Amino acid sequence: MKNLFKTKLNAACFVLIPACIGINYLGKLFASVLKLPLWLDSIGTCIGGILGGPIIGGICGAANNLIYGFTTGDSITLVYALTSLGIGVAVGIMARLGRMEKLSGAILTACVAGLTAVVISTPLNIIFWGGTTGNIWGDAVFAWSQASGLPVALGSFLDEVLVDVPDKLITLLIVYAIIKGLPKKLTSLYELDDEVASLD
Amino acid sequence: MKSISLYVDKDTCLTRLHPFAKMFYILAAVSAPLIGGALWIYGLFLAISLCLLISGKIIRKVFPLIAFSFTIIITIFLIHGLFNQENQKVLFHLGPLVFYEEGLLYAARIGLNILNMLLAFATFVLTTKPADLVDDLEQAGFSPRFGYMISSVFQIIPQMMGTMNTIMDAQRSRGMETEGSLFVRAKAFIPLISPVVSSSLINTRERAIALEVRGFDSKNKKTFLREHKLAGKDKTFMLLMALLIAGSIVWRVLTWL
Amino acid sequence: MALIEVTNLKYRYPHTENLALDGIDFKVEKGQFIGIAGENKAGKSTLCQAFAGLVPTMFRGAYGGKLLIDGAEAAKTPIAELCQRVGLVFQNPFNQLSGAKDTVFEEIAFGLQNLGIPREEIFKRVEENLKLLDIEEYRDRNPFDLSGGQTQRVAIASILAMEPQVIVLDEPTSQLDPQGSEEVFRVVEKLAKTGITIIMVEQKMEKLASYCDKILLLHKGKQIAYDTPERIFSRDDLEELGVKPPVYTQVCRALEVSRVEGGDRLYPVTLAQMERLRDQFPPKLSGRTFVSGGQEIDGQAVFRIQDLTFHYLPDIPVIEHLDLLLDARPTAIIGQNGAGKTTLVKLLKGLLKPNAGNIFFDDEDISQKTVAQLAGKVGYVFQNPDDQIFKNRVMEEVMVGPLNLGKSREEAHKLAADALEMVGLTEAAEENPYDLDLSERKMVAIASVMAMDTKVLILDEPTIAQDAKGRVVLGRIVRTLSKKGKFVLAILHDMDFVAEYFERVIIMAHGKVLSDGPGEKVFYEKESLLKARLEQPHTARLCERLGYEGAFLTAEDMKV
Repeated sequence: MKNLFKTKLNAACFVLIPACIGINYLGKLFASVLKLPLWLDSIGTCIGGILGGPIIGGICGAANNLIYGFTTGDSITLVYALTSLGIGVAVGIMARLGRMEKLSGAILTACVAGLTAVVISTPLNIIFWGGTTGNIWGDAVFAWSQASGLPVALGSFLDEVLVDVPDKLITLLIVYAIIKGLPKKLTSLYELDDEVASLD
Repeated sequence: MKSISLYVDKDTCLTRLHPFAKMFYILAAVSAPLIGGALWIYGLFLAISLCLLISGKIIRKVFPLIAFSFTIIITIFLIHGLFNQENQKVLFHLGPLVFYEEGLLYAARIGLNILNMLLAFATFVLTTKPADLVDDLEQAGFSPRFGYMISSVFQIIPQMMGTMNTIMDAQRSRGMETEGSLFVRAKAFIPLISPVVSSSLINTRERAIALEVRGFDSKNKKTFLREHKLAGKDKTFMLLMALLIAGSIVWRVLTWL
Repeated sequence: MALIEVTNLKYRYPHTENLALDGIDFKVEKGQFIGIAGENKAGKSTLCQAFAGLVPTMFRGAYGGKLLIDGAEAAKTPIAELCQRVGLVFQNPFNQLSGAKDTVFEEIAFGLQNLGIPREEIFKRVEENLKLLDIEEYRDRNPFDLSGGQTQRVAIASILAMEPQVIVLDEPTSQLDPQGSEEVFRVVEKLAKTGITIIMVEQKMEKLASYCDKILLLHKGKQIAYDTPERIFSRDDLEELGVKPPVYTQVCRALEVSRVEGGDRLYPVTLAQMERLRDQFPPKLSGRTFVSGGQEIDGQAVFRIQDLTFHYLPDIPVIEHLDLLLDARPTAIIGQNGAGKTTLVKLLKGLLKPNAGNIFFDDEDISQKTVAQLAGKVGYVFQNPDDQIFKNRVMEEVMVGPLNLGKSREEAHKLAADALEMVGLTEAAEENPYDLDLSERKMVAIASVMAMDTKVLILDEPTIAQDAKGRVVLGRIVRTLSKKGKFVLAILHDMDFVAEYFERVIIMAHGKVLSDGPGEKVFYEKESLLKARLEQPHTARLCERLGYEGAFLTAEDMKV
C-alpha cells in the first residue's frame, strides 16, 4: 500500500508525459484514418499510468485535455480533464496493485477505468450539456430515457456508459497487448526500486 | 514545422494584453452569468467577447472553433424542448412534436453557456503563444519542470504526427491493408500504434538523458531571458473584470430580494 | 593528478546478467584527445554515460570501481552538478533537443537557464557558441527544422555553453550524411585546438587515427588496449575484435609498407604517416580494368522509367522528365540529401504516384497498382526500423510480411528462418526486438522484408549505425541476393561500401542523373562528383595522392 502513490519526479517522467499525450493524439488520428467507431484517445494516458504510477497517469490525463483544449479552442474539453485525470489515476492504481499482469486483470482494470470515467463525466454532462454527450447512440438512449420519464441523472448515466465503457475496454486491451510487449530495457527507467547494487 | 497551437500572430491590443489578464477575463465571463443567474448576462459577455475578437482582427478564425458545437446545441434543444422533466407549458407545435417552454429555456441557458465559454476561451487561445504563456507562468512561480512539460508537448506532438505517414507506408509496404471490412481495418490498428509507442519510449529515454546533462534536475533557481510583468493596461482590464463579477453578485442579490 | 581517472570500473544494467563494463582502467590528462573504438555492444556508450554520471545515477543497476573527474567521484555527484564538468553529445541529433524551445538561441540557453546562470552571462555564452559552431545564421530558426548536421552542431553548442572541462562525443556522426559529418568533424578539429579535453567514440577510424592522442580499445565490456593509434591499428587481432582499421592501414598492410619500432611492426594510420614511408610503395600498380563503353544491360530490364515527373508541392518539382533503365545488376544511388533519391525509390515502390510519365515493372505499368499489390514483388526496407517493428519476438516480426502475403504459417516460418540466417540473427529469433540494439533491429527489418522473397529489394541507408561486422553481413546479403537473380537497389552514403559491393552506381543531384555506370567509371568523373558534392572512396583518393594511374576502389585493388 505504501508504494501505491510513490512517484519519481525526475527528467524521465517529465519526458514521458508529453510522449503519452502524443500517443493519445496518434491513437485518435489512426482511429479516424481507419474509420473505427471508437475514440481510442486515452491509450497514452493509460500507458503513463502503468509506467509512472497513478500520479503520472493523472497528470498525463489532465495535461492531455488542457493541451487539447488549447489547440482546438474547445474549452469544454478542459472541464473533462477531470475525467482523464480519473482514468489515469485509476489505471495507475490498478497497475501498482499488479492487476495489469494478466488478461483477466486487464479486463478488470478496463471496467474500473470505464466506471471512473462514467462516474466523473455524468455530473459534468448534466451541468454543462444538460445530460447529453454529443454521441448519437448515447444521446438516443438519453432521449428515450427522458421520454420515458426516467430521472435526468439515470438517463445521463446510461448515455455515458454506452459511450465510454466499450471504448475503455478496447483501449485497455490494446494497452495490455502493448505493455506485454515492451522489453525491460525501456521500462526499467520507470521502476521504483532505487538501489544501485555494488560490484566491488 | 507545422504548429498545433491556434495562435495567430498579429500585433493588436488583445495580443499584447498579458495572458493572466486574459485568463481573468475567462474567469469573469464564465462566473458572472452563473452567479448573476439571468440570461441577459450571458448575452452581455457574448457581446464583449465578440468585440474583443473583432478588435483583435481574428473574428474569422472563430467560426471553425464554434461550428462543432452547433450540432450538439441543436440536439440539446430537441431533447429538452421535447422531453424535459419540468415541461408543462406548451410553446409551439412542429408537426407531431410538441415543444415546451421550460425545456426550451433550459436548453437556451445551456446553449448560451457553451457559446459564452467557447468565445471567451477563443479570445485567449487565438492571441496567446503557448511558449510565452508558460514563461509567464514560470515567472509567477509555476515549477519550471512542469512548464517544460507543457512547452515540450507543442513541439513533440507535431514531430510524432509527422511519423504517422511513414509508419503507415512502412506497414502497407509489407502488405498490410488499411481499407476494407471493419475487421481488416481493426487489425491494422495495433501495427500502427505499436511502433509509435515503442519509438516514443526510446526517444523519451534519450531525451531524458539530454535533459539530465543540461542540468534539468538542478536545484538552482532558473534564470529568465525576458521579464514580463503585468503592465498598467493589464491591471486596468483586470479591475474592470473584477467590477463586472461584483456587479453580477449585486444583481443576484437584488433579484433574490 | 590526471583530469580523469578510471579505476577498475564495472557496471551491469538492471535485469541483465552480463557486465556491460568489466574492469576498465585508464587515465586521461587535461587537454588530451582520447578515442574509444570497438564493435557494437562493446561498452563504448555505457562508458560515455559513466563519464556523465548517468551510469549509475539514472539507470541504476550494479556498479563497481571508481571514476574520478577532477577529483570528484562521478557515481556520487548529482548529474546536475556533474554536467558542468562533463558534457555529453550522442548519436541522434533530434533527441538531444530539449523539445521545448522554438529558436536555436533559446535552445542553447536552456541548459544555462536551468543552472541559474545570470542573464548577461547567458547571452554572452550563447553568442560565443553560435559563432564557434558556425550556426549564427540559424539563431532564430526552429531547431526541429534544421538538417541533421546543423542540429548536431546546435546540440554541441548547448553543451559547450555550459563550459565543461571534458566533452564526450558518442558517435556524433553515425546518423548524419557525409556533409553533416564533415560539418561536425570541422567543429571537433576547432575544439581540439582550444585545449578542452575530448573523448570521442567513432566508427570512422580514419578520423580517430588522425585526431587522437590515445585510443581505448574495448571488446565485450573488457579493456583490450589503451595506446597510440599506430599501435592499436597495427594489431593483428582487429578482425576478431570487430574493428576495421583505417583504409591507409589496410592498404599498407596489403602492400607491406611499414616501419619497425622497438620490435613491433607498425603500419601508418594517417595520410601523413603514409607519405613519410612513400618510398616503400611499389612504383606502379595496375588497378581495376576499365569497362568502357555505354551501359551494359544484362538480360531483361527490371524497371523502365519513362519521362517521369514528380513534385510534392505544385511549384517545386523534385524529379523532372527522368528516363532510366534498371536491370538486375546490384545498383547504388548516391547523392546529397534532397537530390531526389528517396523520392525516386518510393515511386518505384508505389508509395508515391507519378505526376507524369510511366514506370514499368516487368513491362507492366505500376502507376495503377496499390502498395499492397506490389508488396509481394518489390520490397522496401525503411531507414528507421522502429517505424515498423511491432511484434514481441523477432521471429514473429519477420513472419509478418509473408503472412500478409497469404503464406501459411509453416511456409512463413521457413522463409523467416532463412532470412534470419542471412542476416546472422538466428540466435535472436526468440528475443524481443527492442532488447536488441539499433544495428540489430535494422537487420531484423531487412530480414522481415527479405522473408517476403520479393524480386526487388530496395534498401534505404542500410549502413547507418552498423559496425564493421554489420557491413560485412550487408555486403554478403547483396551478393547472395544478386546471385539468386534478385535486383538489389540501395541508397547509400558510404562510398567505400558502394565501391566494394555494387556493380552499377548512379549519381543523382537535383532530381537528375549526373552519372551512371560501373564504379570504375562513375567515381572518376570528377565533375559529376563535385556537382553532387560527393567524395571518392578512400582508396581512390589515396591512390591519386600516391600518384598511381588507373582505377582503384578498394584495398583489394591495390594488391600487386
